[in-house]
Amino acid sequence: MTKKNGEISDRSLSGAEAEMGVSRLEAGLTNEFDQPVKGVSLWRDAWRRLRKNRMALTGLVIVGFYALISVAAPILPIHSYKYQVLDHQYLPPSLTKTGGELYLEKKQHELEVLAQKEGRSELNAGERAQLVQIREEVEANPEHQRRYLLGTDALGRDMLARIIYGGQVSIAIGLIGTIMSVLIGILVGSAAGYLGGKVDSLLMRVVDIMYGLPYMLIVIILMALFGKNILNLFLALAFVSWLTVARVIRGQIMSLRNAEFIEAARSMGAGTNRIILRHLIPNTLGVIIIFLALRIPSFIMMEAFLSYLGLGVSAPYASWGSLVREGVEGMSLFPWRLIFPALAMTVFLFSMNFLGDGMRDAFDPQSKNRL
Amino acid sequence: MKRIILSVMTVAVFFGLIACGDRGGQEEPAAIAEEENLPVEFILYNGAEPETIDPALISGVPEHRIYLSLFEGLMSYDPETADPIPGVAESWKISSDGLTYTFKLREDAVWSDGTPVTAQQFVDSWLRFLNPETAAEYAYMMNMVIEGAAEYNSGEAGPEAVQIRALDERTFQFDLTGPAPYVLGMLAHYAFSVVPTHVIDEYGDDWTEPENFVGNGPFVLKEWSPQEKLTVVPNETYWNRKAVQLDQVTYLPIEDNNTAYNMYKNGELDWSTEVPNDAIDEAKLRDDHQSNAVMIVYYYVFNTERPPLDDARVRRALSLAVDREEIVEKIRRKGDVAAYGIVPPMKGYQPPETFSDNAEKARQLLAQAGYPDGEGFPVFEVLYNTSETHKKIAEYVQQRWKETLNIDVELVNQEWSTYLNNRQEGKFDIARAGWAGDYKDPNSFLDLFISTSALNGGNYTSAEYDELIEKASTMPGGEKRYQVLAQAKKLLMEDMPIAPFYFYSQSNMIDLDKWGGWYTNVLDIHPTKDIYMK
Amino acid sequence: MKKYVIRRALGLIPTLFIIITVSFFIIRLAPGGPFAREKAVPDEILRNLERKYHMDDPLVVQYGRYLFDVLRFDLGPSFRYKDHDVNSLIAGSLPNSLILGLVSLGAALTLGIAAGIVSALKQNRLVDYTFMSVATVGISIPLFVVGPVLMLVFAMRLGWLPTSGWITGRYGMQTLIMPAVTLTLPYFAYIARLSRASFLDVLRSDYVRTARAKGLPGGIVIFRHVIRGGLLPVVSYIGPAFAQIVTGSVVVEQIFRVPGLGKFFVQSAINRDYTLVMGTVIVYSVILILMNFFVDLLYGYLDPRVSYD
Repeated sequence: MTKKNGEISDRSLSGAEAEMGVSRLEAGLTNEFDQPVKGVSLWRDAWRRLRKNRMALTGLVIVGFYALISVAAPILPIHSYKYQVLDHQYLPPSLTKTGGELYLEKKQHELEVLAQKEGRSELNAGERAQLVQIREEVEANPEHQRRYLLGTDALGRDMLARIIYGGQVSIAIGLIGTIMSVLIGILVGSAAGYLGGKVDSLLMRVVDIMYGLPYMLIVIILMALFGKNILNLFLALAFVSWLTVARVIRGQIMSLRNAEFIEAARSMGAGTNRIILRHLIPNTLGVIIIFLALRIPSFIMMEAFLSYLGLGVSAPYASWGSLVREGVEGMSLFPWRLIFPALAMTVFLFSMNFLGDGMRDAFDPQSKNRL
Repeated sequence: MKRIILSVMTVAVFFGLIACGDRGGQEEPAAIAEEENLPVEFILYNGAEPETIDPALISGVPEHRIYLSLFEGLMSYDPETADPIPGVAESWKISSDGLTYTFKLREDAVWSDGTPVTAQQFVDSWLRFLNPETAAEYAYMMNMVIEGAAEYNSGEAGPEAVQIRALDERTFQFDLTGPAPYVLGMLAHYAFSVVPTHVIDEYGDDWTEPENFVGNGPFVLKEWSPQEKLTVVPNETYWNRKAVQLDQVTYLPIEDNNTAYNMYKNGELDWSTEVPNDAIDEAKLRDDHQSNAVMIVYYYVFNTERPPLDDARVRRALSLAVDREEIVEKIRRKGDVAAYGIVPPMKGYQPPETFSDNAEKARQLLAQAGYPDGEGFPVFEVLYNTSETHKKIAEYVQQRWKETLNIDVELVNQEWSTYLNNRQEGKFDIARAGWAGDYKDPNSFLDLFISTSALNGGNYTSAEYDELIEKASTMPGGEKRYQVLAQAKKLLMEDMPIAPFYFYSQSNMIDLDKWGGWYTNVLDIHPTKDIYMK
Repeated sequence: MKKYVIRRALGLIPTLFIIITVSFFIIRLAPGGPFAREKAVPDEILRNLERKYHMDDPLVVQYGRYLFDVLRFDLGPSFRYKDHDVNSLIAGSLPNSLILGLVSLGAALTLGIAAGIVSALKQNRLVDYTFMSVATVGISIPLFVVGPVLMLVFAMRLGWLPTSGWITGRYGMQTLIMPAVTLTLPYFAYIARLSRASFLDVLRSDYVRTARAKGLPGGIVIFRHVIRGGLLPVVSYIGPAFAQIVTGSVVVEQIFRVPGLGKFFVQSAINRDYTLVMGTVIVYSVILILMNFFVDLLYGYLDPRVSYD
């Protein structure tokens, strides 16, 4: 017991050391072995460790790339995400061929299948004339020179553009929604967990009640009452999803509350706010960051589910969720409509997760100096 | 250490196996039906979970399919044409003014518990249907044609006001409000059904439970487990029992039409009543894809009370700017028919051509209304309920209006109840709508837009139009009446409170080499009693 | 401790009461009503309908009547499924959701915790990355993609399984496989990631180091200290997860035709089937509240640091 006690007060000292790092450095402090002590701030320390984690760094680069693409979407040399070329419906992805060539091929294939169904091995004169006519049209109309790297959708719109603009929407929903809900969750959870007693039971009662209400119902009503736009979508999603975070944080705080290092801090005269902000929350940071990483996908997914119910983004805007949803139906016939948006989404979420893991390892005060 | 991990993994694998269950006992799909001596089961995809099987309370297509198996009204449907053919009625007489109908009931028409179907039961069933306490949604259909029905249903008069009567055990008579020539077709509809009043008296609301159920149709209810299936077996007391060849019909409620399509392709379904949009290209090439025009119209409603949509020229411009052929051929690709009017073509009535798509004319009309090249035209919203089809059409129309008229619209989709509420309360600029004819007469469509109609969401009012519809309702059937209706239709398309887009074509998947007695028809009605295995 | 249990148990009743009250009024706020149809119902018929279901009474009277019925365990008639009352609809569908949910949650917990432990022990090795990649896939692909893809592969292409259906139907137990796998995936993913994070914390903690230093064999340390401590966040996740999974998933149920409660959950809200909405809310919240209650007790058992004062 003594040993444990000693260790824990050690750790809380090292926490205090980190806080005061800068001033000590300025004062040119040395340790008992007379070596200069270089104070490290939590953030610099974290960044140092994050840099060493290759997976996390890759994740960071990819997430950065996505962010860049999303922000730069309007100036990228891509087609409009909403412009329809009805002749170019359901064209497969191609690096080399223009939309017109693919359209012609598709028409020819259709006519051949039809001929086969009727038991003819060759096209008849009328069909051949039809093809010639299409060919002429393809050559004459500059619109048929468009190229679609990732194919087109049911209305002949460029999938690449739709995926990029869809990413914009999805990333925004994921980030803003998550941050909002995690902030509310931390606030409520840590207050309940630390203060305990009446405050705890009151806050947890509120959480219990909100849990008991199906979130979809609340979202429907919020959207119906306040009008349907993206901002309200963020708010509605955040409003219904801080509950789990609050519960988990509360659980963590409850188990840390009586830890010796907290008692030590308290006995050194630290106030409630200071204990929560400086000692309790950083100690739950691991779980919080995992939640952040887990929440972003679930927000993106929740938006997809809501689009499915008619509460997501409005057409002709798209989100990854709505694109994937559209792609699922015809996946055996037009696989590119499912695969590319799903891939874009999965790669992003993958990177988010590895970045989250890396951040967790980097921020976790418990793993400090133990790399 | 390793041992522990291994044991944990073993537990995990074990659990995985439990989750997977055993694969034994797998039967080949549809094998049951193929064996010679085994009973013939017919399995169909029946859309949403049926809300009720009480004929007085039903209102949807899935319920209607079940109704056709369990009950029979005075008339029933011919499987080939969906025209009315005698059901419980053996013969009938129509008075010379076309207002009084007298029906002779079949001697051998009995309930599945053996008691005969009597004329008095028709009277009681219809009165039960009209009783305000029953709160039947389809009562409006009876209110429209039966003298005194509307008064009783709205509580203004007692049941004695309703002009229906049993002259004797087997003779049933009713009076009409006007000489509605389509009334025989209506009589096959569930709104004019007969119910086992003696069983309802005994069990009350529980009479639809499988153990209490009594019907007079070709089949009786065997089992109903909500969301899973509803099965019916032949009714041994049905007057035409020998015509019924299927040994069991299973109605599967399926919410996901992709699942239904996959089930059909896998041989788990005998009849799929729908084809998912993205599978249509594949389905069209199959021999078992049955497609035909049905009496359903898809249209946009303009809110005629909101400027600038209160100007008929603006409405016409918006309507004319759309290329209907393009919608039908490139967006729907299902073989629908472009609609240049609200009434689909039907036997004996070829709708007159009232307008055609014309972008140039649309621009002129818009300029006349004060918005040359879309200048100064306010941004308004197009409302639709969540569905891939509605979304695609809205997106197309949005681009089309931008290209031809240079005006901007925003698309708003809402979940079903919110959408319905807003549409029916007129809280929209333009809303998507659809209408399926309940009986084969233009009136079933034109009737929607009279100013008193609760179904007229855009609040279109035209005294002249009301007058024409009123006039037609007092005329006997025939060419003259159709002319009046055509006139009304022309007027409607000039005022353009709605922009019709297309008439639906219904896609069914059923192998007609295997199943007989199933025909395509405009009402998309396929009585199970006529279906047999070849 | 005993005092705490009694206090919490009594606290559940007002919570449930408040949930019922809040949801009763909140549903009525949503636009539209239970009798709205594509073919709008004429006014006089709408009045008949409202009278039949006592919806023409003042809201407070309706609320009082409903509360009284609920106290007698009568959840009322369904506004949409007119041949059934809410009690029988729930009684018919909840067991199916329970079966599917328990199988899925059981698989998710076992596999998830196992993957979490292994990943934590082998942090940043191949096995860790593999498990976490699978878990990430699990949370980054929507169920409405996983379900149809499984169906396409195993039912359509390989023909090993029937496309859909339920265990009481023609194809029996094998219909459980695809919905259970689909439903397991996201929960497995959550649990695996959550437990990995928490096991990592515990492995680094002082008491485990102490135990190791005392010379306890690795196996005992893991079983007696690491698992017990590391399960805490997972345990607090089980409460909501259990309530969610056993009350059904609308996506899985629709795709695989499982006659479960999940469809009612979403559809009743969309149809504004007020009584059925209330019924599902009550079932959900009772399960959830009880689960959270047990979880809190379990917490005390697993973590001696938690005190119930």
